[in-house]
Amino acid sequence: MTVYIGAEHIISPLGNSAEENFTNACEGKSGIRLVKNGNFKQDSDLYLAKFDEGVNLDAIVNECFNSLHIDKSVLTSNKTKIIFSSTKGYLSDGIEHALVDVINKFILSEQLSNTPILISSACISGVVAIAKAGELIKANFYDNVIVIGIDFLSDFVVYGFEALYALSKEVCKPFDKDRIGINLGEACSAVVLSKNEPIFNEPPLEFVSGSSSNDANHISGPSRTGEGLYRSIQKTLSSGNISKSDIGYISAHGTATKYNDTMEAIAFNRHGLENVKLNSLKGYFGHTLGAAGVVEVSMAMQQLRHQKVLQSLGYANSGDDENLNIITTTEPHQFNAFLKTASGFGGGNASIVIKKT
Amino acid sequence: MNYITTYCRITSNSISVNDCKTESNTTDLSSNLLEVYKNEALKYPKFHKMDLLAKAAFVGSELILKENTALGNYKDDEIALLFSNSESSEHSDSKFETSYKNNNPSPSQFVYTLPNILLGEIAIKNKWFGENIFLVSPTFDAGEIKQQIELMLMNSSKACFCGWVNVSDSNVDVFLFTIEQNQTEGIELTEINLITLYNK
Repeated sequence: MTVYIGAEHIISPLGNSAEENFTNACEGKSGIRLVKNGNFKQDSDLYLAKFDEGVNLDAIVNECFNSLHIDKSVLTSNKTKIIFSSTKGYLSDGIEHALVDVINKFILSEQLSNTPILISSACISGVVAIAKAGELIKANFYDNVIVIGIDFLSDFVVYGFEALYALSKEVCKPFDKDRIGINLGEACSAVVLSKNEPIFNEPPLEFVSGSSSNDANHISGPSRTGEGLYRSIQKTLSSGNISKSDIGYISAHGTATKYNDTMEAIAFNRHGLENVKLNSLKGYFGHTLGAAGVVEVSMAMQQLRHQKVLQSLGYANSGDDENLNIITTTEPHQFNAFLKTASGFGGGNASIVIKKT
Repeated sequence: MNYITTYCRITSNSISVNDCKTESNTTDLSSNLLEVYKNEALKYPKFHKMDLLAKAAFVGSELILKENTALGNYKDDEIALLFSNSESSEHSDSKFETSYKNNNPSPSQFVYTLPNILLGEIAIKNKWFGENIFLVSPTFDAGEIKQQIELMLMNSSKACFCGWVNVSDSNVDVFLFTIEQNQTEGIELTEINLITLYNK
């Protein structure tokens, strides 16, 4: 069975549709901006990919859902499942029910046939959600799955990452030798998977396979050997019957912390994928946590559709012993399939492959 | 066929494994978990660093592994972890929020403000490299859980280690169970059987 994926949508500080985000990224624009005295002690500037004041966060999810470029009957169909991915949900309304209210509010505001589920597996949530969506369709449990990733900035999350000394004082530099940490971001993004090609207003791509694997190493530190990421890529390639030479582009996780990016470089090298063109999109969106996987898959789909790969913003010089083919200029590139990976707290790693139909 | 092969229920004052129940005279979950940790000689110093959510899941998982030693025969990536709850990491979220409102944001508490951290704790303890997923849902949803288990077992996993874990002061509700394929003993995996065990 072919599982189609399309109708990608992104609402982020960089743009209000996948196309707009992609066009702006092609022009070298970034959603990350300086927030004066944004840190905990309010004495130091922070770089965040933050929506303008006045943006109604509660309305964004519904806006994203209702503007998907698909046959609208799919939204209410009893053959359709919705999977959210988020780490903190509506935390700005208070801690209690912050995450489960993503589901509760959505049920009240939309006509749905099935109760949505929400995956909260830290930074890999979005990639896991898309992998699960593909599996649900292949297993014939549903005909269509809509994956919606959301996470919004909050003092809670900013102060937490600051306490971990994980925030960069400048715009982040994934995979660069001078990288010193992450910029946080917020976004809402969606993709639609279906076994029915005609539901898509524009021609879809094909979801091939996906998987997740734990590092079994540390709850907040990356594995030194990249074992979990290595194993997830292995499972994804073998279950999708994809050979490494089919992969024309890698959308890496690339948070711009020292140890994460090194871990990824090790895992890609262990697979012999070091010559495949690769970028991190964190320089455009910051790290949008539970939304990141969906945002970055949507952007990778745009790159595949346009046969054009984006500069890995913030990268200039390699800082790792393990080499990677990091994209330094946004440029045309002919390719048929990409690999998307994510790694995160809790030792989670996930990967998926998407190709042209 | 898929079978429920072991199950464990933890409330604020009782812990049972496969219906063998131990009751405590306090309803302090933290001290009751510590009591089990000592009595069962679990000897895992990282336990003391865990938040309450991870401690409850960890103690339950250790009791299940003692009861069902055959789980040790699976390869290191054949056991999937599937946990869910309705409260996410709220217990640790409020502790971290208090810490930064008191001008001292605690990095060690922040790390536990993600519900899937407990999956990492169990994976690290057992050196399990398998599939992991954490779901948040309004209530214990047996149909959804059964479907997710079936997906995992259709793909690369041979067994599922599952749990429903809420640990707030007003709602200690922990239910752990294992699902294995092609067993001759156990309770058939059905929605009704899951609900019956959950309500026991």
